[in-house]
Amino acid sequence: MITRRELLRKLGVGAAVAPFLGNLPSFANAPAARQRLVIVFSPDGTVRENFWPASAGSFTAPAGDGQEAVELRPILAPLAPFKDRLLTLKGVGNKIRGDGDGHMRGIGCLLTGVELFPGNIQGGSDTPAGWSSGLSIDQEIAGFLQARPETATRFGSLEFGVLVPDRADTWTRMVYAGPNKPVAPIDDPYQMFSRLYGSVKHRESLRSVLDELHEDLARVTATLPAADRRLLEEHADLVRGFERDLAAQREVAKHDVPVLEPGILEANDRMPTISRMQIDLLVAALAADFTRVVTLQYTNSVGQPHMKWLGVDEGQHDLSHEPNSNVDAQEKLTRINTWYAGEVAHLAARLAATPEPGGDGSMLDHTTILWTNELGEGNSHTREDIPWVMIGGGLGFRTGRAVEFPAVPHNRLLLSLAHAFGHTGLDRFGNPDFCGDGPLGLG
Amino acid sequence: MPSSLAPFLFAIVAMVASAAIRPAVAEDHPGAAIYREHCLRCHGDHGVGTPSAPAPLVGDRSVGQLARYVADTMPEDDPSAVTGEAAAAVAEWIHGRFYSSLARDRHRPARVELARLTVGQHHNAIADLVGGFLGPQPPVSPERGLRGEYFQGRNFDPARRVFERLDPTIGFDFGVEGPDPERFEPGRFAIRWQGSIVPVESGVHEFIVRTEQAVRLLVNHPDWDGPPLIDAWVKSGHDTEYRGTIHLLAGRPYPLRLEFSKASQGVDNPVHEKPRRASIELLWRQPHGVVERVPSRNLIPKHSPATLVVTTPFPPDDRSIGYERGSTVSKEWLEAVEAAAVESAAAIRERAGQLAGVKPDAPDRAERLQAFAATFAERAFCRPLDAQVQTLVAHPFVAAPDVDAALERSLLLILSSPRFLFREPPLPADPSRASWDTAARLSFGIWDSIPDEALRAAAARGALETPEQVEAEVRRMSADRRAIAKLQAFLLTWLRVDRPAEIAKDPSRHPGFDAATVSDLRTSLRLLLDDVVRPAAGPADYRRLFTADEVPINGRLAPLYGVELPPRAEFIPVRLDEGKRAGVLTHPYLLSVLAYPGESSPIHRGVFLTRGILGNVLKPPAEAVAPLAPDLHPGLSARQRVTLQTSPAACQGCHAVINPLGFALEGFDAVGRWRGDGSETDGSYLPREGPEVHFEGADGLAAYLVASADAEEAFLQSLFHALVKQPIRAWGPEALPRLRRSFAAKGFDIREAVVDIMKVAAFPPVPSPSSPEPTDDHSP
Repeated sequence: MITRRELLRKLGVGAAVAPFLGNLPSFANAPAARQRLVIVFSPDGTVRENFWPASAGSFTAPAGDGQEAVELRPILAPLAPFKDRLLTLKGVGNKIRGDGDGHMRGIGCLLTGVELFPGNIQGGSDTPAGWSSGLSIDQEIAGFLQARPETATRFGSLEFGVLVPDRADTWTRMVYAGPNKPVAPIDDPYQMFSRLYGSVKHRESLRSVLDELHEDLARVTATLPAADRRLLEEHADLVRGFERDLAAQREVAKHDVPVLEPGILEANDRMPTISRMQIDLLVAALAADFTRVVTLQYTNSVGQPHMKWLGVDEGQHDLSHEPNSNVDAQEKLTRINTWYAGEVAHLAARLAATPEPGGDGSMLDHTTILWTNELGEGNSHTREDIPWVMIGGGLGFRTGRAVEFPAVPHNRLLLSLAHAFGHTGLDRFGNPDFCGDGPLGLG
Repeated sequence: MPSSLAPFLFAIVAMVASAAIRPAVAEDHPGAAIYREHCLRCHGDHGVGTPSAPAPLVGDRSVGQLARYVADTMPEDDPSAVTGEAAAAVAEWIHGRFYSSLARDRHRPARVELARLTVGQHHNAIADLVGGFLGPQPPVSPERGLRGEYFQGRNFDPARRVFERLDPTIGFDFGVEGPDPERFEPGRFAIRWQGSIVPVESGVHEFIVRTEQAVRLLVNHPDWDGPPLIDAWVKSGHDTEYRGTIHLLAGRPYPLRLEFSKASQGVDNPVHEKPRRASIELLWRQPHGVVERVPSRNLIPKHSPATLVVTTPFPPDDRSIGYERGSTVSKEWLEAVEAAAVESAAAIRERAGQLAGVKPDAPDRAERLQAFAATFAERAFCRPLDAQVQTLVAHPFVAAPDVDAALERSLLLILSSPRFLFREPPLPADPSRASWDTAARLSFGIWDSIPDEALRAAAARGALETPEQVEAEVRRMSADRRAIAKLQAFLLTWLRVDRPAEIAKDPSRHPGFDAATVSDLRTSLRLLLDDVVRPAAGPADYRRLFTADEVPINGRLAPLYGVELPPRAEFIPVRLDEGKRAGVLTHPYLLSVLAYPGESSPIHRGVFLTRGILGNVLKPPAEAVAPLAPDLHPGLSARQRVTLQTSPAACQGCHAVINPLGFALEGFDAVGRWRGDGSETDGSYLPREGPEVHFEGADGLAAYLVASADAEEAFLQSLFHALVKQPIRAWGPEALPRLRRSFAAKGFDIREAVVDIMKVAAFPPVPSPSSPEPTDDHSP
């Protein structure tokens, strides 16, 4: 797991100096042709009946050949405003075998496309496993972008979470910086805020107390014998210099800092609020070009939120084990998944409403949201037909349609994501046996 | 001020004043004319210096030492011009007019000055400011090791606990059978070790756990919250070694918990469980140390609250006059202070609820946090807040929408305030503050930190106004780990080895002397010092520093120093070389530091003795000189080479003192082994008072040092400066002689010396409000 401290150490910066470093926007980046990827994860499979469009085809106006527009099923209904920028992929599955149960391999191999190491984490079935034996595609892409000055950003990637349980195991980690290097998502908006804007806020806090500090210095100095005043006067001069430095840094760092409602506790019932806070921070981070690769992980594989605000008292994972014949469970799971779709739609709407900084169109035109899941369906634990949904124009894929593939390995989709960023030298990703025909053609 | 104290203070002030009026030597002294004729052109009027000899003519030589120096070396162009009676006369005149500390006192009474906190004081103060809200540390006790709880099953189910025991260190190989096949399933058991770790060095410590099984290590985690230092609960692939680093301050206990599970994690399903080898070892690397199993002596089986350790790097303090002091400020220092304030304020804000004892949704959260900030300020500033300061600290809370942010700002203000960062000089009497000022002097003197609750209570009662009251507090405070750590650090400073030295020895000459040896030798020296300062019984006898003939040796050191011990043996005191050892002077760590890679160095040892132990001032050599290479003079001993190289008159001014001291330790080689031959170890020294002394070997030198007034004075002065961080001269010329008399009267007990020093330091001379301000113009 990469902690913030380790990250700073990798960057060669002592954790302590960090408060004053590295919060400046990356001016060097050419504003044109930015491409961004936001991967959103929700757990426990979908309700196939209420998710998959009836067939492949276009979501938008009937084409000239007389075909009917494909209808959005209930779960995808919140994405209706973005029909023309929507792309669903059916028939793309996670083929990775080996150690670990379906949920573990579901999340641990979802973005890595490679087997888990043998280990000591025992699932509900199969053999115990450890962490992934490879890095995840978001980190691969981030590494590619960071290696080139014109696409390098302050963070390279950001890992957001919403109510991810406070335990590190194979079910709670999706992103890997390398073999045995899971990256913990930050699910506390205040912690994420502090990561994004900590130094700005600290500088502001310091600035805000300097006036009082000067008065206090003057009062203390006045009580001292003349021979001792010199040291404090020298100190006061240094404080003034420090103040000037802070002011100068402030000039170059004045971009919009989102305002968070204070005091929101991390608790099941606050999930909707926390989700929106994280989306606010995510959009702001992208607007400031802090990063171009983001993941947003709702809970975890085997996630068990109780969505009482939807009138669902049961835990999601428990519901997902009910047979398809349980109409009540199917209906509740549909509500739950529709809620996730709503959050994705909110993210898309926020991006669509924000003009691309220094570019044309909206931020959504330069961003692709990829919403996915560790399973195709909860009760069967199948990892075929994983529900892949894309929104936006960041990767240049042809949108406004439902696509069906003949049961292809998801490694090929992961390759498509990298190639869309220009990382075309990447000819295999994860287990090479599943990369056979190269990236999926989505253009 | 109570009447019992007033005459004492008056006496000091009067002494300084009267000394300033009465010159020690008359202007018509015969030395004056000799000075004008031979010395003035280089040393200037009253020794202030000239471009050809810019340094002021000041020092610690006695009249006799100075006379010999002048006779041998001055004037530089013709040392034979001033000798015999003329040298004695000019030395007496120089000494009395401006050279000696007394003469300097006469011209420029030293004073207690405003000083910023040293880096160590700053770190300690922040740690104790926060720690003060987290409950007491466990009392000092001889118990060592960690409390181990052994459980059936894979987790720590209290109902399945089989036994609890004290494990001195963590290093177990349970094989495939587990700890006890009768009581545990071999494939499923769990162990939790808890207690505290007490480091002896400050800085970054690396912890290492080696195991094939699931493990978590938490060090200094408040309420075991947040990510563990080492989290290998998920066993993945073939890694069996896990590392984590953490900043720790010396001499404080930090909570430690090590959790181990021989079982699969995740879904509880024993079907897949296989009996496999289970072993675990807890190791660490101290700053500048080597990777080694965490020794029992650094572990205690008691829980302690977590400590806030600032990780901001600071520029080092000024040590130019032999002790760390906060006499200067700089941009780097201010930036470090502000970064540390940000770091601390953010950490405190995160745990504000616990520290202030208020729940997140408490209706009076704002008031409670504001009250917490006020208490925090009171402790940081070491006194009750007056109305102005109360307003200052409360200001960020005024109409603040986010009270946690307001708290953070208030904390930033407090931690940036000169009231926290600077230690004030004694100011013209303000009776309401006297006890509070005394409390701060005591706590910074004994702990390098802020007063604790008991001291604050004493100050609030006004119960710190007499020497007796102070003495009672000092005795209480001296039992604290921080006091012990500070005394230990002082002894290392006195020996000039407070910072771990990088020592490399020629492997062909001294095979087996490696980084582990250096680390062990340093530990051995610490244990020796610890035994002097905290003996099992009796006083902390200063003289034992020179006479103890046992050296702590462990299994790794044993072969190098000719001792038979099992390889993993812990340190035990060993009487090396049939009693040839003489305390710290012959400790192999010191002797190895004061030596070249292959050869001993009588000069390094002599300089150390001259300056460090006997407290003489030595100027650096006129030019850098490389030692004579041994292979160019294969027939000569180290002593003979040194004698040959330093024979010129220009060298002899200092080397006449240095060499005969260093020669006394020549019985020991470059790694501090006894050569088995005591020849060529005769030495001598001319004390500041009395006739020249001659001695033979280290034990002869030690026999002189235990009774040496020079050594005693140097020791007490260093101790005073280490504790108080202000010049002892500010307490008047009689302060040191009085401390010496008391030291002798109390059997040379070092801990009694601390009590005496603090009783003096607690009541610095206070300038009277009407006296003219001292000026910077010190010229006579």
